[in-house]
Order: sequence, then C-alpha cells, then structure tokens
Amino acid sequence: MRDGNGGAAVRADDVTVALDGRTVLHKASLHADPGEVVALLGPNGAGKSTFLKAIAGLLPYGGSVFVGENEVSSLAPRQRAKRVAYVPQRSLLRSTLSVEEVVALGRYVHAGSFGGMSNECAEAIEHALVTAHADGLRERIFTQLSVGEQQRVLLARALASDAPVLLLDEPTAALDVGEGLAALRLIRKLADGGHTVIVVVHDLADARSTTDRALLIQEGRVVERGPTSEVVSADPVRRVYGVELIENARIGFESSDEGGQGHR
Amino acid sequence: MSRLLYPVLFALLLAASALAVLVGVGDLGDANLRQTFLALRGYRLASAFLAGAALAVGGVVVQGLFRNPLASPSVLGTTAGASLGGQLALFGFALTGGVSSVIVPEMIVPLGCFAGALVSLAVLLVFLRVTQDLLALLLTGFVLSALFLSLSAFVISMAQETWELGRAVVAFSLGSVSGAGPRQLLFALPLLFTGLLACWFWGRSLDLLLSGEEEAQAMGADVPTIRWWAATWVSVLVASAVSVGGNVGFVGLVVPHMLRPFAGTKHQRLIPAAALAGGVFLVACDIIARVIPSKSEIPLGVVTGLIGAPLFLMLLIRLRKEHAYA
Repeated sequence: MRDGNGGAAVRADDVTVALDGRTVLHKASLHADPGEVVALLGPNGAGKSTFLKAIAGLLPYGGSVFVGENEVSSLAPRQRAKRVAYVPQRSLLRSTLSVEEVVALGRYVHAGSFGGMSNECAEAIEHALVTAHADGLRERIFTQLSVGEQQRVLLARALASDAPVLLLDEPTAALDVGEGLAALRLIRKLADGGHTVIVVVHDLADARSTTDRALLIQEGRVVERGPTSEVVSADPVRRVYGVELIENARIGFESSDEGGQGHR
Repeated sequence: MSRLLYPVLFALLLAASALAVLVGVGDLGDANLRQTFLALRGYRLASAFLAGAALAVGGVVVQGLFRNPLASPSVLGTTAGASLGGQLALFGFALTGGVSSVIVPEMIVPLGCFAGALVSLAVLLVFLRVTQDLLALLLTGFVLSALFLSLSAFVISMAQETWELGRAVVAFSLGSVSGAGPRQLLFALPLLFTGLLACWFWGRSLDLLLSGEEEAQAMGADVPTIRWWAATWVSVLVASAVSVGGNVGFVGLVVPHMLRPFAGTKHQRLIPAAALAGGVFLVACDIIARVIPSKSEIPLGVVTGLIGAPLFLMLLIRLRKEHAYA
C-alpha cells in the first residue's frame, strides 16, 4: 500500500474451518485495525495457518470475515486480492522466473490481459522491491535465491498488489538471526505506514518484540487474547506450551545499526 | 541472446521453407508437373508449420496448466483423444448418411478432434483435484493415450465394413502432413489463430498458476476458470494440429524446453516464440522424413519421436534428481 491508499480493518467472527471432515478451527475471532500488527501464536498444528488462510479467503469457512466493508468469501478473487495480500511461508514456484517477474505477478489484479505494463504498475513494482529490500535481487532467478532472500521477494510480491491488509505465515521461520530481525523491523514499519498486519509467529520473543496484540491458539481454539505482553506471559505459556517463561532471559539480539550485516 | 531470438527463428523459417519446397520426391525440372509438385509441397509445408505451431504452444500451455515440465499434448493423451474424436466424427458422418452438401468431412473432423482433446484434458483436470503428484499425472496421461489408441483401433475395425469409410478413417488415423489439402487448411487455420490468440490472452493468468493453486488464488487468480479456459484453448490448438497432421508426438515437449533459455518462462513471451519455433521444428522434421533413404517415406511421428523420446527421458532423470515440483 503506497501513500494515498486508505487502510482497512479486519474483523473475523466465529470462524470455523473443517478440513477433510475434521474441524481444525473452532469459532475463532479476531479484530485488527490499520497500523496494528496482530500475532497468531500457538504450538504446531494448533490452527494458526488455517486461521490465516481463512482470513485470506483461501479456505472455505463458517462464520464471517470482513475486510473493511466486505465479506471476504463474497468477493471475486480479483477484488479480494486487491484488499488482502497473503505471503506463504515458502513459495511453490519452481519455474525460472526472475525476481522482477515474480514481483510483477503481484500486480495481476491491476493489470489488463493485453499489452505491456503501465507506468503505475512499474512504479508499484519498484516501490515494493525497494520497500522489501529486494531491489538488489531483481535480475536474479527466484529459485536460486536463499530462503531469506526468497522471503523478501515474496513480501515484495505481496506489497506490489497495494493491498492494505497483509497476512504473513511465519515470515521469520527459516531466517537467520540477522535476517529475522530485519524482517520484523520491516513488518513493524509496514504497519506504521498504515497496513493492517496479521502474522503467524513461531518465536514468542519475536512476537513480544514486534506485535501489538496476540491470539494464542491451542487445538483450534483461541485460548488467550490481548496485548502481546500479556498473552506471552508465564501462565498462558505454561498452560499451552508446557514450558516456563523466563523474563529478561540472558541472550537477546538487536540490530547493530540501520544498515548492518547486509540485511538492512 | 534473447534479442536475437526472433531474427534467428525467422531465418530458420526461411531456410526450412526453401528446403521444404525444393526437397522431395518429384522432379521440379519437369515443366508439366512443376506446378503440381510445388502446390503439393506448399500445402505440406503449411500443414507442417501449422501443426508444429499449434502443438508447441499447446505444450507450453499444458506445462503451465499442470505445473509439469514433462507435460505435452501427446504425453498427456490429448492428441490421441483428438485423433479418436476425429475418427468418431468421420464415422458418425458416414453413419448419418454423409449426404448433406453443406457439411463436408473437413469441417466435422476438427470438431470431433476438439471434443476428443477436451475430454482427455477434462479427465486430467478432475484427476488434478485428487493428487498433484507429477508422475501420477504423466502415468494417467499414458493410460489415457493407450485407452484412446485402442478405442481408435476398434473404430478402425468397425469402419472396415464400408470400404470407403475404412479408407478415410485409416488415412486420417495414420496421420501425415502430406495428405492435407487446401480444404483441411482452410478449416484448421482459423482454429490455429483463435487458439494462439486466446492462449496468449490467458498468458498472465497461466504465469500465476506456476506458483501453485493456493498462491495463485491469493494473488487474485480464479484458478478453476483459468484451468478450464486454458484446457479449452489447448483443445482448439490440438484439434487444428491433428486435423491436418494426425497424431504427431513430442513437438509440445521438445520446443518449449529448447526455447525457455532464450525466451524465458513468462507465457506471453514464450507463446509467440513457441508458435514460430514449433512451426520451424516440424517443417524441419518433415524434411528429414523425406530425405532419409527408405523404400517408402518415413512417417513424421517417427522423426519427432526419435528426437523427443530421448529428451523426455533426460528431463525425467533431471527432474528426479532435482526433486523439482515435489
């Protein structure tokens, strides 16, 4: 979302998802406003990614998901993608497309079927590449990039759609510590710029450092919600993960400077 | 290199066309027969180019549609389906009397080919919902191909009861660009152009499918609609190819793979190049078929098979090594 585009709030109520006849998400609700980063937390298999995909309109669900004024499941695919951008953990792309071509795919909903690319599209792609720190990769072949680099390109592809809502599935899962910090800082910056960001996070410390509010999901149910500092606290963590939370643990990281480590 | 792609392709087209007119049985020095020979070779050149263009673009599109680099209209059984459809159309045409002066077999055959091709792709698209496994798709294609070929044999034996019908069905199913005349070309050409344009039009949507169904959907693609339209236009292309050239294999596999290093992967860039290169490729194969010394002329499918089959195996081995598309 570049300057001039309005934000959109996400309101999911009693979302239920059944996969292969098994209910994997029970009546989950969530509210996220522009400028906010909301974390979906929980053990593996809890239903975090399922909830995220339901909000993205990629899975059939019961209940309702509103993005701005619109119910997601009632929108045509193009209209939905103009409002909500989804970034998978890994892309299934195996073809030899360049980074620039991959990011251009994000403009699909804005481009016509004929002819070349409009100036507006070219600008949006450029802006997305720069914002996601992927502009140095543009000529490279996507499949030959490291996981961290691919993650930046996938984010750029999502940004190119100019959608006000960003849904990210474990964006830091496969990154090293420097890449991870850079990604989290970028997510924060995007929200500060007016995006509504909902992000599945594996690492509770990451969630505490970056997100405003959090939902803790266990076996398909939301068991805890609120400001992240309250959700990621001793009691809920012990109940859900069966581990003790140690406040002020001795090892922590922060970027050494704004341009550091080549991860920017 | 990619900037030279079109000049090189056009130069190859010119060279191949010149050879295709100059080489072959018959003496151009005979003033009485020169015109006839030239006309026959001209039709043959046009048919080979048309079939090659259609099959190559069909290959590009099915490879994107199924996210499978080993897919092609012949590998997936689409050409066999089209061939069977064409035979059934001929058969039905004869059974219903075939007396109507308006409908000629040249019109009915492409329709039958289209229906046969679409049925074969529809089976695979339904299959795609069950598993996305790459080899399972190819095996299903092989099975479909075998099924259609045995049904074809059945149709041919049924058709033998009437001598003329039998001859027509056999001639069609053997398939050769040498048999096509102006009437076949007249009906196949519009199909080719419509199919090419439509596939190009759907190119951007096909690019999205390369990332898999879920990501494509997230980017705003209406995946089922894209798949069915792509299958429909591939069927149109295959119908145009089969109705003039019969069942020629591997063009749709070989040409896209030869081109991607130069034309890239994006469909709207690959499709026009594939049309041109596919045409040149089949014209060249047809020349080879004519010049290889043999008592009777070698069928075109033999030449494309000799080039295509090793390439298919090579790609299969590479794919297993890379675990690509896993």
